[in-house]
Amino acid sequence: MIEITLVVNGDRRSLRVEARRLLADVLREEFDLAGVHIGCAQGSCGCCTVHVDGVPRLSCLTFAVQCDGKSVRTVEDIGGPAAEHALQQAFRRAHALQCGYCTPGFIMTLAPFVEAMATENRLPDENEIRDAMSGNICRCTGYQGIVEAVRQAIAERIGTGAPA
Amino acid sequence: MTTAADRPRHVGARVERIEDTRLLSGGARYIDDIRLARMLHLRFVRAEMAHARILGIDIGALGDLQHPTRVFTGADIGGLAIKAHQDVPEFQYSEQPLLARDRVRFVGEPVAAVLADDPYIAEDAAELVFVDYDPLEVVASMEAALDPASPPLFDGWNGNVFVERQMKGGDIERARAAAAHIIRRTYSTHRQAGVPMEGRGVVARYDPADRFLTVWSSTQIPHLVRTYIAEELGFPEQRLRVVAPDVGGGFGVKGQVFSEEVLVAWLALETGRPVKWIEDRREHLLASIHARDHRHTLEAYVAADGRILGLKADISVDVGAYSTFPFTAAGDPGMAAKVMPGPYDFQHYEATFRALATNKCPIGTYRGVGRPSAVFAQERLMDDIADELGIDPIELRLRNVVRVFPYTNALGFTYDPGSYAECLEKARELLADDIAEAASLRGHPERRVGVGIACFIEQSAHGTPDFTRRRVPIETGYIAARVAMTPDGGAVVDIGLQSHGQGHETVMAQVAADALGIAPGDVHVRHGDTLTTPYSVGTWGSRGGPLGGGAVHVAASEIAEKLRAIAAHLLQASEREITLGGGRAFVTAAPDRHIPIARLTRAALRNVDRLPKGMAPGLEAQCSLDGPRDGTYSNAVHAAVVEIELATAKMRLKRFIAVEDCGRILNPLVVDGQVRGGIVQGIGSAMFEQFVYDEECQPRTVTFADYLLPLAPEIPTIEVHHIETPTPLTPLGAKGLGEGGAIGPAAAIANAVADALEVPVSSTPLNADALWRLINR
Repeated sequence: MIEITLVVNGDRRSLRVEARRLLADVLREEFDLAGVHIGCAQGSCGCCTVHVDGVPRLSCLTFAVQCDGKSVRTVEDIGGPAAEHALQQAFRRAHALQCGYCTPGFIMTLAPFVEAMATENRLPDENEIRDAMSGNICRCTGYQGIVEAVRQAIAERIGTGAPA
Repeated sequence: MTTAADRPRHVGARVERIEDTRLLSGGARYIDDIRLARMLHLRFVRAEMAHARILGIDIGALGDLQHPTRVFTGADIGGLAIKAHQDVPEFQYSEQPLLARDRVRFVGEPVAAVLADDPYIAEDAAELVFVDYDPLEVVASMEAALDPASPPLFDGWNGNVFVERQMKGGDIERARAAAAHIIRRTYSTHRQAGVPMEGRGVVARYDPADRFLTVWSSTQIPHLVRTYIAEELGFPEQRLRVVAPDVGGGFGVKGQVFSEEVLVAWLALETGRPVKWIEDRREHLLASIHARDHRHTLEAYVAADGRILGLKADISVDVGAYSTFPFTAAGDPGMAAKVMPGPYDFQHYEATFRALATNKCPIGTYRGVGRPSAVFAQERLMDDIADELGIDPIELRLRNVVRVFPYTNALGFTYDPGSYAECLEKARELLADDIAEAASLRGHPERRVGVGIACFIEQSAHGTPDFTRRRVPIETGYIAARVAMTPDGGAVVDIGLQSHGQGHETVMAQVAADALGIAPGDVHVRHGDTLTTPYSVGTWGSRGGPLGGGAVHVAASEIAEKLRAIAAHLLQASEREITLGGGRAFVTAAPDRHIPIARLTRAALRNVDRLPKGMAPGLEAQCSLDGPRDGTYSNAVHAAVVEIELATAKMRLKRFIAVEDCGRILNPLVVDGQVRGGIVQGIGSAMFEQFVYDEECQPRTVTFADYLLPLAPEIPTIEVHHIETPTPLTPLGAKGLGEGGAIGPAAAIANAVADALEVPVSSTPLNADALWRLINR
């Protein structure tokens, strides 16, 4: 067992974990963050994506001990219980989710993409959006609603220049 | 200010989904989010050989773990099994033991269950269990299953055919005699899996204080799971609750009762502690259920003008090692035989269909059930006929589709009104430029373009008679809904469906809101829990909208009548004059004379002295709505435009178009989502997804690195066009649409490839390897 400190959604906590324990399991079990979903546990589907020090990472391929001292952010912290982030709102409008299982992973992958495009003040074309999504699998929507939601969220951010 | 409640009608409007907030925020609770005190975690030891005797199971190494564990094997569970018998004399009966007893029949079959306090320890422990096998000859293909020299999979069996039967109508010999052309072809679709992003999982807890057993399962059919567990374990069903929490996709895969559901319930009773099993992705691909894997030989009898006079079909399905509950091993071949006449008008049809047992994962229900394979064969055949007769493929279909409704086909199934010809005409119009481009690139040395279409019908929302005819373990096709209003003017809808992404919470709220004159946001929809919802068959067979929505409509309308009577009494008007809407009851001709609906509900539930004399208190109604005898028939044309690079065999899907008719559209947002999602699964079936076994039935595609699902960059924008032909057979005029999207793509894409390369295409998948062979044949 190894003692580590994680800052999860702003909450700093020290805990003892086995070296082999996955970040996804620690977030789900120790921090009670049910928005972290495991779809394949092989790094192929993107369902478990969280941010580690601001960068999207697959929490099913990351050991918790690798994150000692780091800051982790999950979907629970993106737009709160009402899902108020611009991308989440666009997901609702564009019907970008059905069963919702892959959805937190998509949000965590795409929120920084939306941010980066807004910073560049650039609306990407459809192929660029689809490429940005290529590490996440959705089995319900056929992706079209998600593409549309990303487009809407970026357009809105460029239009209003609102902070994230 | 206008509120949602003031909108005249919610059904048919693009209402955003009520359930989205919790799904977007991490607030949803799926099966793995259930955590109980003292819970044991289950890990399976699964068969590593496709066909073998179990000589012994050694758990001696578990002592090294230094953690308490318990192991259960087939010897511990008595005769507990999944029993899925089709009650016809031809059917060879078998059972799937919950844990293999003396023999394993496919790689992935559960052999032992290991329990520990921690899931990591349970996994460690399962790896230390040693199973000694004596290998048996493997039955690896349809040919082997039909070979009398192959060993039967079950003792006492005569060969490896679960069942072989026939369906016929008209006089096939007359059609053959009258035919100017006889066209015979064989088509096959490969084996694949359904693959919801959330795998399966079961949690069970027994409470000795009130002798109550609760089972949580990631299932589409909680009531059927409850009944099966109660019967198999001899447990009183009134003390058994099955809950499907938020379910991360089902697609029919979770529309079965699985051995794990019964076993986890049994283990909770046996150990006295809550037990949890969460399937991992490898287990899902290996050992949940598979789909497709059909081979159809069709013989069409065609007149000189292209009119089809009759069709003869021979249908084989490799259904794997066990019969699955509730649709049995006969489900897929029977469905394919039943729907093969499709949208075409001919009165002579004969099908022989069989389910073949092999040492593979069992076949079960997956979006479309039999129909994607049937439509692949049917629609490839139409293009092959068109090619042989020199008729344009769309024109050939227009000469053959049913145009006069209701129509009774050769097997006696009656189709409700549809728009088969209109959808074809619309597709032709949309494809004009692509057809021209394909023609201009014929013989091009580097690249080709092809256009393919598939025209099909989807029998949906089938009712009880359809199941009694099939003699499978489930005899009913109804959905029940109960609507109850609360004193504050809101309503609760309890419905025997289960939602795994279809938006039931929103659509059912729209339907209830329209009938009751309130806003969808004031309706709370509960589903997926046998404790709160009326007994029903669950979510499958595209029955949510037409039957679920219909049941809510009928029940809510009954309450609305009572609301109108109370309003008439309080407003001193006649009932006929009262309209409900915008949260109020008002006199239709004088809207200023109104009363809030909350006042009416308060009167009915709390101030009953204000009710009309003699009226009983309460505002509750229930409706059990059975499907029509032959179901409803949605129809669609799918069209694919492909571009193929000859040097590399790389294929790009340039366009995919759906022109579809699902009757009355309840929520366009949801309908488009279902159509698009289904189509992309169908594109996966056609081009990417393939479950591969080697010649010893060892699986070779057990991760997403080998089993390829479609990703966003490979998928074009799916263009969806609607024609609405309401059906007179359901209360709201809606037909089913959940499966249709997945039915057409393999046929449309195969036809496009055949068009591009000017070669016949007879099988899926159409991946790079297959295309290379088609280009270089």
